[in-house]
Amino acid sequence: MRTRAILGSALAAFSILAIGWEAGTSNGTLATTTTTDTGGTASGTTGTGSSSSSSSNTTDSGSTSGSDSSSSTTSTSGAADGTYSGSVESTRFGDVQVQVTISGGAITDVTALKLTDHDGRSVQISNRAAPILRQEVLASQSANVQMVGGATYTSEAYLSSLQSALDQAGF
Amino acid sequence: MRHHWTTMGTEASIVGSDLTAAVIAEVERGFADVDARFSLYRPDSELSRVAAGSLRLDDASDDLRGAYARALAWRARTDGAFTAHRPDGVVDLSGVVKALAMADAAALLDAGSRDWQLGVGGDLCWSAGGTSGPFGIVDPADRSAVLAAVVPAASRRALATSGSAERGEHIWTRLDLPVSPFVQVSVLADDIVTADVLATAIVAGGEATLDLATERWDVDVLTVDRAGELRATPGMRAAIRSAAPVG
Repeated sequence: MRTRAILGSALAAFSILAIGWEAGTSNGTLATTTTTDTGGTASGTTGTGSSSSSSSNTTDSGSTSGSDSSSSTTSTSGAADGTYSGSVESTRFGDVQVQVTISGGAITDVTALKLTDHDGRSVQISNRAAPILRQEVLASQSANVQMVGGATYTSEAYLSSLQSALDQAGF
Repeated sequence: MRHHWTTMGTEASIVGSDLTAAVIAEVERGFADVDARFSLYRPDSELSRVAAGSLRLDDASDDLRGAYARALAWRARTDGAFTAHRPDGVVDLSGVVKALAMADAAALLDAGSRDWQLGVGGDLCWSAGGTSGPFGIVDPADRSAVLAAVVPAASRRALATSGSAERGEHIWTRLDLPVSPFVQVSVLADDIVTADVLATAIVAGGEATLDLATERWDVDVLTVDRAGELRATPGMRAAIRSAAPVG
């Protein structure tokens, strides 16, 4: 199958992909999201970042060969490995563009490229909080922490807290 | 060096390699002064007298009116999710006062130390260019465990966490807002007041305030909802990845 990631409304695509990614690997809560797909098209080569909000919705730079990228041979679900940038879309937040990384047939990362709002200010629409998997925090749990943050400690709760243990260790 | 004491009805800790006893004493005194003025648990505090009606807000100190103005400004910025009043209408500045006191302490510590970390009641701030982490974030489902550790980006100076698990009365939920889906919200920001106010506001205001906060402010956010599911901004994911021990 040809490598092609259609990114519609960039924001909607962001949430759909994030949710879809979660749903595909866990029993995450599914949200139904609808989008009017205005059809930005991503090209299938790693590192492509220059799309534009042109009048044509279906500019396709990979139509003759979607598999000439060196990392596309292990694909099992039709999507070749690589990084795909969607076209620039106008949203109420300003112009937005999303980048998707596919590895081993699965979406491994979704980032929104830094763009501008209506006032021309640089903004990070990517700053939206998206669902993440528990496994993403597991490795960090064994970090040698200096301090522990949590919801307000009452004095009683403090006595049994991690922060208390750190203070008593006195290092 | 590590120092621990009790203030403002909660627990405080300072860690630093070059802290002096004089700086620590100054920091402790600052918190004690703020507590004496703003505590609603002390009937003789200035804010208690305002709450009781024996002191008019107009006649209150510049410090008190300044804190009230800050709280009102944050209420406006967060579309009402953050509030400076209890449901019974009494002025309650506990939502900003601790953070303002921490900001004052941060200025004192910056002047007297190159590398420090301060924790008060589960909210943290630290020196610029010093040791920024790893910091742990408590698991709301098991308070003896770390949910995630973070090594914040260089500009970050504060990590605040709010929740409904431990001290429910700390956050007033507006009656016209839906029940918060979040049991815990952690915010990394470049200053402790922004981090603390937004963490509190997101718990109180739910998803709408979460979206508003991540749109409007340069902050990293980690939320835990009632089902235990996590949500994180990209900056928070990067901070969590950075905390994972290599190998």
